[in-house]
Amino acid sequence: MKLFSACLLMMVWICPIAAAAAEPLLPSETNGWRWDNQKERHDSRTLYGYMDGAAELYLAYGFQDLTVRLYVKPGLPPITVELYRMASSADAYGVFTFERQDEPAGIGQGSEFGGGMLRFWKGAYFASVYAEGEGAEVESAVIGIGRGVAAAIPATGPEPELIGVVPGKEFGRVDRSVRFLRSHVLLNQRFFIAHRNILNLDRTTEAVLAEYPRDRQKVHLLLVRYPAPKAAGDAYRGFMKAYLPDAGEGDRAKTNDGRWTVARRQAEFILIVFGAPAESDAEGLIKAAEQKLPGRR
Amino acid sequence: MEEAIITRRDFLRAAAGTAAAATLGGALLTAEARSEATAKVVLIRHAEVVGSGGRIEGRIVQSMLDEAVRTLLGAGDPLEAWRSLVKSSDVVGIKSNAWYKLPTPGELEAAIKRRVLEAGVAERNIGLDDRGVLDNLLFLNATALINVRPLRTHHWAGVGTCLKNYIMFVPDPQAYHTDGCSPLGKIWTYPIVKGKTRLNILSALTPQFYGRGANFFDRRYVWPYGGLIVGTDPVAVDTIGAHLLQAKRIAFFGEDRALDVPPIHIVVADKTYHLGVSDLSRIRLIKSGWMEGALV
Repeated sequence: MKLFSACLLMMVWICPIAAAAAEPLLPSETNGWRWDNQKERHDSRTLYGYMDGAAELYLAYGFQDLTVRLYVKPGLPPITVELYRMASSADAYGVFTFERQDEPAGIGQGSEFGGGMLRFWKGAYFASVYAEGEGAEVESAVIGIGRGVAAAIPATGPEPELIGVVPGKEFGRVDRSVRFLRSHVLLNQRFFIAHRNILNLDRTTEAVLAEYPRDRQKVHLLLVRYPAPKAAGDAYRGFMKAYLPDAGEGDRAKTNDGRWTVARRQAEFILIVFGAPAESDAEGLIKAAEQKLPGRR
Repeated sequence: MEEAIITRRDFLRAAAGTAAAATLGGALLTAEARSEATAKVVLIRHAEVVGSGGRIEGRIVQSMLDEAVRTLLGAGDPLEAWRSLVKSSDVVGIKSNAWYKLPTPGELEAAIKRRVLEAGVAERNIGLDDRGVLDNLLFLNATALINVRPLRTHHWAGVGTCLKNYIMFVPDPQAYHTDGCSPLGKIWTYPIVKGKTRLNILSALTPQFYGRGANFFDRRYVWPYGGLIVGTDPVAVDTIGAHLLQAKRIAFFGEDRALDVPPIHIVVADKTYHLGVSDLSRIRLIKSGWMEGALV
């Protein structure tokens, strides 16, 4: 009986993993572009070579594996599909938002198409589809293949919960400025804070960055959730010491550009506004986010 | 003693100066004239080096390389120039770049190797590699390095140029990707490469001037520039390369469309690691050959 129970327990553990690892059945042909029947897969060891050194983006978001497919049509540029399986749907969302800048294409749970490249996320998958050339026929095929890939991904998944916390259009949030981040290196690529990891960001933390225009200037809101209040407290003290030492016992300081940085900790969360023209701008954003923090809504 | 932490506020403090602009705003190329060291870089172009379908004309590449090296070193002929770069007793590593979407053209690699051989280096003492350099005895024992790679944009570094090409000389490349790859210059201070680089060659035959994402390659952002950028100063060569890509983006898009990250590692290589000159006003660019659409 004990053996049976142990086996049952193992199946419960193994089955979801096996299901998640099952490779989606990608389309073999779309708009006359046929899969060249070459199978290419990468794991975390081989990703670096494939990415020419840019693998960290995916590794930071819990990269599991990558399937690459090439679709060819005589006389026209080949189309490449890269399908990344990440640790969670939140991670897939994170990869997508990290580079998002173009108009949505209505594919998967979030998408964009620009410069000949389609990018989208669905469930725990992030995909990019692109051609090495241009033209209406090629772009139509890129979209068509992307739709086929999205349809082959069986399940959707939730966005990171914190996305719903950052103030939205009612506060003038810039379209497509919301980014979900897992590391300070990625944060620095989008908004440089410090060359050291003064906020202790890692795989156990979740960070959301959003941008708001105020008086023709960019104001940034950064929201971070830590695994526990103590971790948030440690990070908050580290941030204040390194970034706002002149705040004293307070939570804010006017920086040399004449704008305000305000940082606040609430339980396991840290909220920081950078570059606000007035203290009231920073207060407004922080209060709006605080009201929507999980457990306070 | 605690290490000083550089924060955004440090750049805000210095905003009136050029350092912050260079680091944060991508204003890489300042026009400030200073009485400091200068660098010499050769740009050579040929209208027919890139043939139909992107085919590279090996014979023309050889003549371009010969002329560039001869001009750079002020030599009477190419062989004299190469003999001043490498000795017959040298073990020479030709550090290339194998990224499959835009590798160093084989014709250019062959042209370099041909001249190194003619300079008297035995074939058994010449290595050609990219990702295997740490396992390649010729590179581990190299006394001279020739650094060659294509010019293109890069997701983590802003631009993929000569400085970045040495990232394969460290076992943990990811450790050099922070803050726009700003620590890349540090690699050049390690014994495996320090003081060994005799020549830096940026292949601007078909550069990629724009890209998005980690593995993005689109032929519409690649153009047949037909050039080589050659120098002994890797920072100066990279500065010219980055400037060329910036000029092309402005010409193509009508604006300086932002890269994934500004190429701050070039300035850092100058200011922090003292590897060369990143100030355009202190780089003497010698142009040779076809100059239609040269942009710089």
